[in-house]
This record gives sequence, C-alpha cells and structure tokens, in this order.
Amino acid sequence: MSSTEHLHRSRFRASFADPEQLLRAVNHLRSAGHRVLDTYTPFPVHGMDEAMGLRPSRLPRACLAFAALGLALAAGLQIWTSAVDYPLIMGGKPLLAIPAFIPVAFELTVLLAGLGVVASFFLVARMRPRLRIPDLHPGANDNRFILAAELAADIQFPVVARELAGLGAVESGLLVEDRFQHSGSFWDRPAGVGALLVACLPALLLLLLVPLLNRDFQRRNLAWDGGMGAPFSAQAFDASGVLPGRKVLQAPPPDTLSRRGEPPLAFGPGKAEAERAGRELQNPYQPTQARFNRGKLVFERVCATCHGREGDNNGSVIVARGAFAPTVLVSPVVRDMPDGRIFHVATFGGPMKMKGYGDLLSREDRWQVVLYIRELQKAAKPAAVPAQATGAQP
Amino acid sequence: MAHDADVLTANGIPAAEAERYGHNLPLIDGNKTYRQVTEEVFAPTERRPPLRWWLVLAVTLSMLSLGAWAVFQTLTRGIGTWGLNRTVGWAFDITNFVFWVGIGHAGTLISAILFLFRQRWRTSINRAAEAMTLFAVMCAGTFPIIHMGRPWLAFWATPYPNTRGSLWVNFKSPLLWDVVAISTYFIISLTFWYIGLIPDLATQRDRAKTKLKRTILNIFSLGWNGSNRTWSRYETVYMLLAGLSTPLVVSVHTIVSMDFATSVIPGWHATIFPPYFVAGAVFSGFAMVLTLMIIARSVMGLEEYITTRHLEAMTKVVLATGMIVGMAYATEFFTAWYSGNPYERYVFLNRALGPYQWAYWTMVGCNVLSPQFFWFKKVRTTPWMIFILTIFVNIGMWFERFVIIVTSLHRDYLPSSWATYRPTFIEVAILIGSFGLFFTLFLVFTRVLPMIAASEVKGVLKNVEH
Repeated sequence: MSSTEHLHRSRFRASFADPEQLLRAVNHLRSAGHRVLDTYTPFPVHGMDEAMGLRPSRLPRACLAFAALGLALAAGLQIWTSAVDYPLIMGGKPLLAIPAFIPVAFELTVLLAGLGVVASFFLVARMRPRLRIPDLHPGANDNRFILAAELAADIQFPVVARELAGLGAVESGLLVEDRFQHSGSFWDRPAGVGALLVACLPALLLLLLVPLLNRDFQRRNLAWDGGMGAPFSAQAFDASGVLPGRKVLQAPPPDTLSRRGEPPLAFGPGKAEAERAGRELQNPYQPTQARFNRGKLVFERVCATCHGREGDNNGSVIVARGAFAPTVLVSPVVRDMPDGRIFHVATFGGPMKMKGYGDLLSREDRWQVVLYIRELQKAAKPAAVPAQATGAQP
Repeated sequence: MAHDADVLTANGIPAAEAERYGHNLPLIDGNKTYRQVTEEVFAPTERRPPLRWWLVLAVTLSMLSLGAWAVFQTLTRGIGTWGLNRTVGWAFDITNFVFWVGIGHAGTLISAILFLFRQRWRTSINRAAEAMTLFAVMCAGTFPIIHMGRPWLAFWATPYPNTRGSLWVNFKSPLLWDVVAISTYFIISLTFWYIGLIPDLATQRDRAKTKLKRTILNIFSLGWNGSNRTWSRYETVYMLLAGLSTPLVVSVHTIVSMDFATSVIPGWHATIFPPYFVAGAVFSGFAMVLTLMIIARSVMGLEEYITTRHLEAMTKVVLATGMIVGMAYATEFFTAWYSGNPYERYVFLNRALGPYQWAYWTMVGCNVLSPQFFWFKKVRTTPWMIFILTIFVNIGMWFERFVIIVTSLHRDYLPSSWATYRPTFIEVAILIGSFGLFFTLFLVFTRVLPMIAASEVKGVLKNVEH
C-alpha cells in the first residue's frame, strides 16, 4: 500500500483479534448501510453466515444428484454385465441377482456422491491449484479475523475507521485494488473451465462407449506379461526352491494306496517279511513275449540305471561314479532267491541302499520285472559275474 | 438452590449437569492464544527432526525393508514360500488384511461419526486418526494384492472393457464387493482427509520460508484464503462427507465380514459377522489410535492438545466396544450349541480346546479381560497404563482374526482333509514389513503436515457452544 493509486476508493478492510468482535462489526456495518463483501477467518465463525446474510449452500443438491448418478451407473453396469453381456450362472444364483448387487451399488453411490460434491465445491468456491497466491489478508489463516466491505454511498472511510476502532479493530484501511481478480486469462476463470469440461462430457462418454460397442473378439489381447498364457511349469526332476528336499518330485505320503484298485499287500518291509514273501508268494504271471517286452521296458527305464542293462552292474551310473555297488542281479545269490523275495525287494527296497518301488511301479510291472530278471539270469555268462558280489544280500 | 439446576448452557444442557460431566471444561489445556496454537501445531513441520525421530525412522525403515525383501521372495518364488496348504488357503495374509482394515476404521469413526454427534473433543485427534486410517488401508490393501501371486495383474479385479470375448468380473462375489468397498473407502477417506487439511495447508503456505515449499503448498492449498463464503460451503461439504463416510465405514467392514459369512464353512457362516466385525474394528482402531497418540503426544510435546480428557473418552469407547466383542464371542458359542449342527458345534469346541486353543485364549484374555481395567478412572487417566492395555487389545484383535480364519478352515466337514497351519518366516516378515510401512508413513506425516487440525482446534479453544 505504498502507492495510493492502487487503493480502492470505496472498499476497505478491518482486522480483529477476536471472532466475537468481528461478528459485532459485521452486524454494525450492515445496519449502517455498508455492504459486507466477505470475512476472512482462521476458522468458521458461527453465526457469521446469518450476520452476512448468506443463503444456505445448495451443495447438498449436487451431492444428491451425484449420488443418483452413482446409483444409476452401478445398477446399469452390474445389470448389463451380469445379465446381458456376460450371462454366466454363478453359484446357482439368478442372472439378475438384485440383492447381490446392493453392496457394489451402495459403494459406487457413496463414491460418486463424495467425489461429485467435492468437485462441485471446488468449482463454485473457485478452488484450484495455483502457482502464485497473493496474501491479501495477512493473518487470516493464523490469528486475525478480517472483514472486507464497501462503503455506503454518503459515508467517508475515516468515519468508519473510527467506529471500527471502537469495536476493537486492530487495524483498518482501504483495500488494495485486486489486480488478480479480473485480469486472468480464460484458464483462470473456473466457470469457463468447468463449462468446457461439462460440454466435453457427452463426447467423452461416447468415446468410452466405442470400445464396448465395437469389440472384435477375434483379435488377440495385447499382453505385456504372458501371465497364465505362458506359465512356468516345474519338471519332475528339477530342483525346487521351496519344496521339501529341494526336489520337485516328492515321495508319496506314507500309507498311500495305489489308485489302480489293487488290494493292499499283506506284507511289510523288513528282512523277516522278505523271507516270508519268498515262501508265500508265487509269480502270478507266466512268461510270454508281451510280458517279456514290458518287463524289459520297465527294467531298462527304472532298474538298469543302477543295476546295468544286463543286471551285471555294467553301465551302472552309481558304480561308474564309484558311489556304491548294488547287488548283481545275475549272481547265483539272486538266482537262488524265490520270485516272491525279489518281488518284495522291488516293492519295499533292499537291506542296503535300494529304495522300494511299490509306490511307483504297478504290482503287475514288478512281477514282469521279476520275469525279465529270470531271463537275464538264464542269458548271463558266468564269467560276467564279479567275485565281490557273490555273497551280497539283495 | 433449586433454580440453579434449571439454568441451561448454550447447547441445552442444565448447567449443573454440564459442570458434572465436564462440558465446560476446556478441551485444550494451557489457556492458549490463536497464535500459540499456530506456532505449536506447525512447529514440528518447520524445524529439523530431533535425533530420536531419525532413530525411530531407522527402525521402521528396517522393518519395511525386511517386509520388502519378504514380498520380493514371495513374488519371485511363489506363494509356496508361505505356510498355506490346500486346507488352510487363507491364513496370515487375510488375518493381516482384516486387522489393518479394522485399524483404519477408528479414524473414520472419529472424523465422521463423532463429528455428526458433535463430539468436539475429536478436533485434537481427528487429523492424525484419519492419517492413520489412510496408512492402515494402504497396509491392508497390500495383502490381498500380494496373495494374488501376480500383483501386476491386480487390475483384473476391476470391470474394464476388454477383448477377451465378453468377460466381466463377478458382481455376485463378496471378494469383488471387497475390492470395490476398500477402494471406495480409501478414496473417500483420502478426500475427507484432504478437505480437512486445506485450511491448515493455507496456514502452512503463509508461513513457508522456501520458494519450493511455498509453490508446493500453493498448489495443494487451492488458493484458500479463509473467506467466509468458502467456509460456509466448506462446512456443508464437510458435513456431507461425514454423512457419507458414516454408512461407508459400516459397509466396509460388513463387506469384509461377508468374505467369510457368505461361505458355507462352519465358524464363518454366521449372520452375527457384520455387526461383530464392525464392533471389533472400532475396538481395535481406537486401541491403535490410543497407542499412537500416547507416543505422539509425549514425543511431540502435544500434551496440552491431546489431554487426558481425550484419552479417557477414547478408553470408554474401547471399553464399550470390547464388551460388544466379548458378547459376540459368547453369542457365537450359544448359536453353535443352539443350532444343533454338529459341525458348527465341533468348530467352536475345537476353537477353544483344539490345537489353536492358545490363540483362542490369548484373544479372550486380551479382548475381553484387559479392557475391564478401564472401569477404573485411575487407569483411564494414566497414559502408561492405557498404553499397555491398548497394546494387549491390538494383540488380541490380531489373534481374533487369526482364530476366526485358521480354526474355521483347518478342520471343516471332511476329516481326511484336516490340516494345521504354521506361518513361515516370510509371512511373519511381511507382517513386520506392514508395521514398518505404517509407522514410517506416520513418522513422515508428523514432520510434513500438521498433526493436529489447527483450524478446528482454534474453533474450540473457548469451548463455547453456539
């Protein structure tokens, strides 16, 4: 306020330290015929709306309108998607399951009512992000209660200033001409921007409808992540970071029954049971070409890794690595074993390192492997039998 | 003197009554001036944080990093890193989700429901409580998203136009209701909080020393100048938002409870769930507000703003909702017995006497017994006692969700699929991480924004009812 040419001729301001004084001053000025433009306070002073003669805000109507819009959108969206565009029965519920639509309808009603009323508030109160804000009423956000008013036609400001001082005004003076009020461009006028947005709304809504009405289901989706289209699949013999033993392939749980409908075997693991199996079990299958082929297939895929293709430990992976020498199947010891004993080993494992294959091979396959081992033993040359294996237990 | 009792205060309460219930006691201690309120509320945002703030921040950031590491492990190695199995498919993550959503509810209750009931003591605590709501909902939201396994596809849970043949989300599923409810709750809570913050942002803007800070605050304070025409509309909007938030907060935890109640699992399939969950949410939320406020008021030196009168009022809410929760526990057992349904009866016997009985009795001890101390005025007005009891309530309410979820799932109809569940370190680390996120955000908030709604506090300085 250093230069008088920026001072308004009839508009003035007064600053108070107490809301009650401000209220009294506003009442006094209005009864004296002055026009109170606005007051600026750190908190809403109750009774000020009545003192200034403000009408109650009409924002509740905007809120109601947006609530109705939210409800309508929610109802339309749910009914159209669930009953018209994607009529899929879920949980045996009717396609038009109105009670199930209530929660989402309620939430969207609240959402649009809340956001809508706040947007309306910002629009009517001309609140928007600004880069520069003139501090026209210093202290109004701190501890000062300020009024801005326009003089009645026949009264001079010094007279009013004395009255205001009597009412407790801390200071008063003519207003600085508000150069920011009317000099702005179009973008500074919120009403203009608002009108533009409202005008664009139908076009925007139509744009939203285009993808809905003009859908080409033949075209593939754009996907930046393969997701479920290209899943990662664990291979049986891969290492696993999370599963027990760090292996993908897990042993079946104990006491697991075969799904092939075989009755439980009346034998348990252990040497005594193995000998009992040798006494009590007979190979139920006669050797045929088909059973020979199947036995060979299973033997070479499962057993040969350790026992060798000929049953003589030749080509055994674990022998080649120097880890451990398994029982030589073509040795006299095994040759003299009854079929039931070999079958027991194939099922429950041997007394040394061999694991049981009862959970991996069907009972029929295990008997066929026994048949095949017998054929190997007939074909084996005695020279092929290493001496160290002769006394070994299976 | 008989006619003295007939004298009414401004809000229609007999003067003697008002005296007796402390209606004319000042809400803010220390006979403050408006300027003092401004100075004291904004001081923490304008000076360098003290060393202990940095120390606490280091701790919470470490917790957050641990959680981030655990989330990374979960996302890169898969949900197999958690202790879930085919029987117990929901456990730690959903427990944490419901726990955090519940924590959030106190903020909305304080800012909206107490506002509608004209409980003016809310002014000192509503800003921080609402911030707590936002941070708690953020923590809550992370859990279902992580549980999805591919969180970058979380947008699949929204109804957006797509080219996958006609394909839409299932609007009949409570899980989708949950997505909509939590998102709406977060957006409306954020809006409500921001609207309440605008006048204080203007004050902060007027006091800003640096150009950068001033520019940022110019943008976010939306040109606020304290105009009464704006205040008038502002109060209307604030009232409308409070009116919208009140049924919203009830609906959110109702819908969360429907995630369970609409299933057919014994122990979940109960009509008591919505009110039971809402009461539990208010209970846990107020306990968390008390825990935070007791620390914050002493660390930030705000004892004259958040007085023992505020603390006492909140402990009464904790006591009342604690008893509602206790009543719900008893009702569940009665309903299970009265239903005559053997599965339902078994679930509740198993809850109290089965493998998770330690969790059940921890819950009962913390939630039903510990609030009973609040019957004593001495306890209600002694901050350290309140602090200890509210920690118990927080623990108890976490266990409540764990008990509801895990004990109901682990033994349902088919005994052959019964299983037990134990969390892995990864799951515990994610929980710790969520606390890290919550406290980190809260610590930053106390230094960046005014923790107390200065404009509202100035309005109740004189505690005169108009």
